Amino acid sequence: MFCRNQTARATVARGSALEMEIRRGKFRKSVFLDTSQDSDLQKKIDHEIRMRDGACKLLAACSQRDQALEAAKSLQTCSTRIMAYMSELQRMKEAQVMQKVTRRSSDAGPMDDRQPCKGKVAISDLRIPLMWKDTEYFKNKGELHRCAVFCLLQLGGEIFDTDMVIVDRTLTDICFDNTIVFSEASPGFELRVELYSCCSEDDYSAGSTPRKLASKLSSSLGRSTGKKLRAAMEPGSCSPISNGAASPLLLPVPSVPGPKYHLLAHTTLKLSHVQDNFRTHDLTISGNEECSYWLPLYGSMCCRLAAQPHCMTKQMMSGSLKVKQLGGEPQNWTKVHAVLKGTSLSCYHRQDDVEANVEPAFTIGINKETRIRASEKDPNSKGQNICISNQYGADEVTHTVTTESRDDTHRWMEAFWQHFYDMSQWKQCCDDLMKIELPSPRKPALVTPKQGSLYHEMVIESSDDLSTTVSDILARRMQELELRSQLGTSPTWMTLFEENIPKSAGRPRPCESHLLGYSPCSPRHPPRSPISPQRYPQLGLLSSDASLTSDSDSHCSTSPCSQQHAWPDSNFSLLTSSPSRLRPRTLSLDAKLSTLRGRGYGAFQCSCQTPPTSIVNPLQTSQSPLSLCSTQTTLSCSSSTSSNSSSNSEGSHSLELSEGVPFSRPSPARRSLRNLRARLDPRNWLQSQV
Amino acid sequence: MTCYIPGQPVTAVVQKIEIQKLRQGDRLILGFSIGGGIDQDPSQNPYSEDKSDKGIYVTRIAPGGPADVAGLRVGDKIMQVNGWDMTMIKHYQALKKLTKPNEDVVRLLVTRKSLEQAVRGAMGLQ
Repeated sequence: MFCRNQTARATVARGSALEMEIRRGKFRKSVFLDTSQDSDLQKKIDHEIRMRDGACKLLAACSQRDQALEAAKSLQTCSTRIMAYMSELQRMKEAQVMQKVTRRSSDAGPMDDRQPCKGKVAISDLRIPLMWKDTEYFKNKGELHRCAVFCLLQLGGEIFDTDMVIVDRTLTDICFDNTIVFSEASPGFELRVELYSCCSEDDYSAGSTPRKLASKLSSSLGRSTGKKLRAAMEPGSCSPISNGAASPLLLPVPSVPGPKYHLLAHTTLKLSHVQDNFRTHDLTISGNEECSYWLPLYGSMCCRLAAQPHCMTKQMMSGSLKVKQLGGEPQNWTKVHAVLKGTSLSCYHRQDDVEANVEPAFTIGINKETRIRASEKDPNSKGQNICISNQYGADEVTHTVTTESRDDTHRWMEAFWQHFYDMSQWKQCCDDLMKIELPSPRKPALVTPKQGSLYHEMVIESSDDLSTTVSDILARRMQELELRSQLGTSPTWMTLFEENIPKSAGRPRPCESHLLGYSPCSPRHPPRSPISPQRYPQLGLLSSDASLTSDSDSHCSTSPCSQQHAWPDSNFSLLTSSPSRLRPRTLSLDAKLSTLRGRGYGAFQCSCQTPPTSIVNPLQTSQSPLSLCSTQTTLSCSSSTSSNSSSNSEGSHSLELSEGVPFSRPSPARRSLRNLRARLDPRNWLQSQV
Repeated sequence: MTCYIPGQPVTAVVQKIEIQKLRQGDRLILGFSIGGGIDQDPSQNPYSEDKSDKGIYVTRIAPGGPADVAGLRVGDKIMQVNGWDMTMIKHYQALKKLTKPNEDVVRLLVTRKSLEQAVRGAMGLQ
């Protein structure tokens, strides 16, 4: 029988007459038979063509880089799907023609070849390690070299794409969290994994810059960026190398302005790669270092490839049988309802038990070692006996079953033979049922903050999420801070802060104030005394007590605490100790926020790095006795957005604390903070005056 | 300038420059700016020939200032300050070596391309 290998078959060229014919559906009216499969495929092709046109339009219309990349990705996927469907259609047409031909020439009987059952194949947890050179970290000036990557997975006629991931030199691996499940795979499947990448720099719209300008730009921008610009302008110079039969399944994409994805690496996975564990596979890399879409891949890919053949998950055969009792009287037969599934023949007392999920009465194992034999006709019964023998260690256990009629016997034997054939074809997948997790509904992609401040990280969706969002962000910040101080990079300014939150003015609500206290150095963690009984995140360095005054109006601070110059400070019920013994405050942010929920609480902000413009309400009324400690600075943390006196009155960090200079004005401290960050940033080249 | 090969001694033709610090208010100034250091990104150094050279370079000279008078030039690489090595030093440490408050004079050993060329030329002539 004429059988074509899909990879060797030339794909339908775009714009060719054949493609136009297919698009116009002219094949329907041709001499070829019109089966339901064809019309399904035709519908799919039409659908994908519509999607592709939509993607092209979106690509032309969108201005943001992220949108353009996503649209280009959909375009790529649609194009690949169209190609696959069209070649499938082609093959089917040819098969039909061939069939007609053979039927005419000879009367071949029904095909007797046994086909193995199909199965589900799932690939998940794709991880591709990267191998950045150390020069990447120190040489690159300016922006990070970013690439957008995604994987295209194809098995049979099904093509899926993963989510897009932006990769830069801060990543050590490209991870795709998606689980892709292919539903109809035969044991001889070939799962083709292709990694596409596209350079994600902003300025490289192809072809528009004249050469002279480009060379000028390249010399002034620097070697690496100039190289990239030049490479981006020569699209032909780094075309993917196609080797032999493994040519990329790329439809020549209609020339739409915008980002284009190029094939970076590919591999093919087969049944032998299936395992219930993670495995590493080799990647074939196309492209070289000069290409704009290049990423230094380590050369391998880790993933979990699992397969669930239908013989393991579905009932292959069921019916009523009579099982001879072992060790009992020879004529004692028990009538059961038997179900052949997976590696066992489960026998239930009644058919309803199967749906009711009752445990089977007993189970006969059916695996590769089992031997099944139909015995000679027993004169006492109508059907033939079937003997099922299993070897358990040194013993051999034989069950004898019989059926109602000879037809039943035939059917059962057929089912057993088919089952054995399936197991021999699916090999290791039939030893045990592999778990396949169904992909959960996709979560919306998190908006990445452009700036690093907490204010911008706040995504206020609903008041329910607010407290957890903020406390999560704070907790993360705390961890970052903790790490940083442990590394010893910021010893001088990470001193004790006692923070005063100005009370909101004129707000007829219970006053709250936040205090953030930083422990002087990381190893010392004095015990906290939580004010509110609710749970709050444990924060090592940065913690605050929200003085939740449930409905009372003001607390007086009980003990002196460090005072920031400008703000008279009213409600600090939590301020404790003398400057020398400052306790870290606990953040009962959840509690605070829950009380503020109804008031459209806005940005809660605390940062001990660059404090962005905070929203501070002038304080009022009673001042608590607060002493100014020279070794402390205060960091303000705004607590409401009600009024917007956005002055520079948030605290700042003095970098000269070690010299005992109490900071007075925000600006020199802010400058010195900037200096510090400049010093700590390895990508700068500082110049200092002597 | 000479390139740094790990493990190999660095050789350079140097010129001794003696700068008298100038008192301005409560500070002693030298009248130039430096850039570089092992904690800095060397590829951004406009004056170095070898872009992996993490040494301390003179980036600006205040005209008429003490450094200018003493003969320091923009682009010079400072090898030593008062005997302290400057070829493998962090930026702020170099700063501290230059701005010690109890020293009135700093003796620098600097190297520049023209020096090397001059010496090589002179040797070649001989």
